[in-house]
Amino acid sequence: MKFTIEVGRYNPEGTYADNAVQGEPYPAPWSSSPPRRYQTYEVDLPEHAVVLDALIAIREYQDESVAVRCACRSAICGSCAMWVNGHANLACKSKLQEFTKDGKTRVESPPSMPVIRDLVWDMKPFWDNHRRVTPWLENKPLPPPMQEYVVSNESMEELIQEVTCISCGCCLMDCESFAVNPDFMGPHALAKAYRYAADPRDAETHERLGEYSQHGGIWDCTHCFECVQQCPKGVEPLEQILKLRRMAVDAGYTRNAGTRHADAFANSVKHSGRLNELTLLPKSVGFFNILGQLQTLPSAFNMIRAGKLPPIIHKTIPGVKRIKAIFDRVGGRFK
Amino acid sequence: MITDHDIVVLGAGLAGMRAALEAARSGASVAVVTKVHPLRSHSNAAQGGINAAIGETDTWESHAFDTIKGSDYLADQDAVEIMCREAPADVMEFEHMGVIFYRNAEGKLGTRAFGGASQARTYFVGDITGQALLVTLYDQILKAGVKVYEEWFATSLYMEDGRCRGVVALEMITGELHLVRAKAVINGAGGVGRVYEPSTNALICTGDGYGLAYHAGAPLMDMEMVQYHPTTLAGSGFLMTEAARGEGAYLLNSLGERFMMTYAPKMKELASRDVVSRSEATEIAAGRGIDGNVLLDLRHLGPAIVLKKLPQVHEMALDYLGLDMLKDPIPVRPGMHYQMGGVKTDSDGQTPVPGLYAAGEVACVSVHGGNRLGANSLLDTIVFGRRSGKHAAAYVKTVPDSNGGEKLLRSEQNRIADLLARPYTGETHARLRLELAVMMDKYVGVYRDEAGLEEALKQQQDIKKRYAAVAVGDKGRVYNQALTFALELGYMIDIAETIIRSAILRKESRGAQSRTDYPTRNDAEWLKHILVHYRGDKPPEISYLPVTITKWKPEARTY
Amino acid sequence: MKVAFHPGCVSKGACPELYISATKIAGTLGLELQELTEAPCTGAGVLSEQNPELGDSLNALTLAMAESMGGTLMTICSTCQGVLSSVNHTFEKKPERLEKANQTIQDQGYTYKGGTTVKHLLWLLFEDIGVEKLKSVIKRPLTGLKIAPFYGCYILRPSDSLGLKERPERKTYLEQLIELLGAERVDYTGSGKCCGFPMLTFNRDKSLAMGGNHILEAKEKGADAMVTPCPLCHLNLDGQQPDAALAISRPLETPIFHLPQLLGLAFGFSPEELRLDHHVVSTKKALEKVELKV
Repeated sequence: MKFTIEVGRYNPEGTYADNAVQGEPYPAPWSSSPPRRYQTYEVDLPEHAVVLDALIAIREYQDESVAVRCACRSAICGSCAMWVNGHANLACKSKLQEFTKDGKTRVESPPSMPVIRDLVWDMKPFWDNHRRVTPWLENKPLPPPMQEYVVSNESMEELIQEVTCISCGCCLMDCESFAVNPDFMGPHALAKAYRYAADPRDAETHERLGEYSQHGGIWDCTHCFECVQQCPKGVEPLEQILKLRRMAVDAGYTRNAGTRHADAFANSVKHSGRLNELTLLPKSVGFFNILGQLQTLPSAFNMIRAGKLPPIIHKTIPGVKRIKAIFDRVGGRFK
Repeated sequence: MITDHDIVVLGAGLAGMRAALEAARSGASVAVVTKVHPLRSHSNAAQGGINAAIGETDTWESHAFDTIKGSDYLADQDAVEIMCREAPADVMEFEHMGVIFYRNAEGKLGTRAFGGASQARTYFVGDITGQALLVTLYDQILKAGVKVYEEWFATSLYMEDGRCRGVVALEMITGELHLVRAKAVINGAGGVGRVYEPSTNALICTGDGYGLAYHAGAPLMDMEMVQYHPTTLAGSGFLMTEAARGEGAYLLNSLGERFMMTYAPKMKELASRDVVSRSEATEIAAGRGIDGNVLLDLRHLGPAIVLKKLPQVHEMALDYLGLDMLKDPIPVRPGMHYQMGGVKTDSDGQTPVPGLYAAGEVACVSVHGGNRLGANSLLDTIVFGRRSGKHAAAYVKTVPDSNGGEKLLRSEQNRIADLLARPYTGETHARLRLELAVMMDKYVGVYRDEAGLEEALKQQQDIKKRYAAVAVGDKGRVYNQALTFALELGYMIDIAETIIRSAILRKESRGAQSRTDYPTRNDAEWLKHILVHYRGDKPPEISYLPVTITKWKPEARTY
Repeated sequence: MKVAFHPGCVSKGACPELYISATKIAGTLGLELQELTEAPCTGAGVLSEQNPELGDSLNALTLAMAESMGGTLMTICSTCQGVLSSVNHTFEKKPERLEKANQTIQDQGYTYKGGTTVKHLLWLLFEDIGVEKLKSVIKRPLTGLKIAPFYGCYILRPSDSLGLKERPERKTYLEQLIELLGAERVDYTGSGKCCGFPMLTFNRDKSLAMGGNHILEAKEKGADAMVTPCPLCHLNLDGQQPDAALAISRPLETPIFHLPQLLGLAFGFSPEELRLDHHVVSTKKALEKVELKV
């Protein structure tokens, strides 16, 4: 079966083929990533073929200068993560038939990462953040010699979702929070953080949760599910981050806007059945955070001027007693 | 640029990183040189598990016997004893490092059945055991602060006064050549699967470690012992873990028969890998295959087992063949998987070349002899990785500093420049490699004979000649994979020769070597290892070493 | 077509124009809205994140209410859609969670049996009302207007709970709709990305930068306006747009329509009826393109 594939080339030495077409600049926040030059190739492969098959065929038989990281070909090693039609994917898992849009598939290094050459991108941001979360076991006192820690299989199975992570970078390259905030640890690192924080053999759970609650950690995630969507191994990094948030709050790390936000939200729903946007913002920001409160004033004025300020007296919904009863029964710390 | 360390470890898979960790813990300054990021190493593809005689009713002697029998008595029994005796402690250590091993109802390490094992002693993590060990070990390397030169491609070993003193490597991101000088080199650069097609191995398994050691004067031993894995996915060659059979899967021929009941009445599908591969090849040759494959049937196992314990292979069959293991049998065939042979070492990882150590698949101690048991490779890497690291750390204390290496660096720079300057002839390295690999599968595969092997040698020599003229299709400096592939092919061509020559010499069938012209095992003449020594342009020199027997006298091998 | 209708919190609070325009156009589309006045907030993902059982129970109540009213629940908010779909999907995959939630709401006289389908107005348009009906009620094609779609994360991800594997066309309804209404659609990479709202209260600058970047891209690709099916996105993209412009140091001035407002314009309603005169970012210039004044 014939497939057309457009490869985004980038060569720091500046040499390109004559038929490489200059691409458009990337939109903010990646406007500084150099636009690629796209070269189009045709390949003839079996119908189940994946993008990586095409790239290998191109590299071996048509153009030996195409640089692409690849090893296992079967979504185990994590080498071949790249942008396929504008979204993060493993080249070895992307079926050409599924990805062909308007007759072709486009691949390139993600603009959210520095590019080295062609499809090879610099993973330094990824590894630097991996190291930030203290990604190794800080042992509880060791068991007697020749004995294992005695732990339940459930507790090990709880961690297997993250251990499946092959560090491919798909989640990070499409993470919007990371794109606008380079200080953000990133979904991969926070998933790894959960793996160790939740390991019953780790002695530093409490300290870890404190670290991860800081600037750049669990509260810098925008909860958009992009990482869950893009992960080729089903790691669901966002779910690991949410578990960390719960653990951190339970451990007492509540002096942050994220926890205040959740508390204000819950309070509002408990009392009225609905969200009160009027009080949500100032409560989340924190009443003593004068600077924070001042920052929100201009938008508050704009809303008033447009006649969009929510009613000062927040209405409760009919039957709100039901809601209160539900909170009383399963509300946990929101009771 | 020249940098100095006490020890350079080549390769960042399980063996390499375990060696580096041990050496660092012993106080040596260690650097790891690896052509891919550590987590991309092929160790991550090991699926089924790791063996150790931990269980209360288990003994290291039983494990050793299974291993030695599995090896068809070619394994050196003193080395096997060490591996099996130290296995429990090594596996425990990994548990303490945080590997999320499967637990039984008491919360202790639990096992699964595996090929060739008289009792269940395989400890595992789902069907991603290699991955689980590798990521944990990588995290330990980070904790220990070991220096890693990532994406540095090794082009040569540095020899000084007969000692191995370092590695010359190409820094792929800049195209610059460096010498990482040291007092010892530990070679953990992995296997050579790409010399066969199909193979379960990753594209990076090109035998760099074998080639570098071979050219530096270290002999390669038992190279004819190439393991074919019985269940590789039709077409792609992807590994379908032995654990599937461990959990109860059947192998069926085109008549729907469980043919292993005939070939191995006791162990059936869990007989040793070479036995199963041969059985499959026989069935296929007799016309009872389906398009050159047999069927792996898991339908009777149900979702509780398949989705919980074998999720990765379930997904692979779905992704690459569109087949659901819960509903369809999966076409599989024997595919090249593992090289039992390799750089000759003792049980401390020392090769005959002073200063050069080797561990893992690239090494041949030999613990696997003529055939490796499943779940023994992961064990091999961590036991001998640790022992090499420890021994090397002590050894380097006796080695003086070096100031040399400039000459080698320059000559390597010239060699690369010449290679890049070659004019285009119409041949490509990729086509040449495919020719070599398909040829190896045809003549040096599951079944071999004299005529086929001689033909293989002829073709290999021809490919070698043509290789000397092939141009590199990319002249760039930054991340030039065409260049590294050209170098990789060079290693593969030389290693192919060692495999073929050893197969020709061994006039018997043992373990993975099955000769239709010499179909039986001949302990009287062939209870020995074949070693191949590099002699430049001349044919390699051959030597022999007797197999070390301690407790277990060679017997007939049936399952 | 009768549907149970959950307006969500924001359409009754800071985005009244959404509630007004949605209820106004319902009749034109043949929708009889039975508002669930006693249904609670879905929690917007925040409550489920902090306390999954609480999120399950609150939403089981809403789903049970809708079940007793025919079983089709219409939302007008991507976030409501996402949360309710996710809870529904969880109840299907993990019946023990449904059981637990029922134990809680049984005290209130409700039991959810799993029979409610949750559909955003955007999905109902294509899947139940139908393109033919839609075309038949268009009185004022929006010719000349260039519109960029902005979906809102929770109506696109994760694809499992939103039925996107079975119905991948849901990922393109907004683009299709824009063209059906006679306008010109603007394609850009940010249409499915996050507006930043979940982070607004604890990471203001970054939240505004996210929304700002997407508006900028749409604008640079020629959009006169954007349309979104999510009022939370609307709050960030319209309500916070002046601050977003400051956050990325670029002028934006791009009005944001709610989905029912865009529909209403095409059906012939006046801008005032749809409260297009009550946005933070003026809709004046965009409306002039279709010869309307506000």
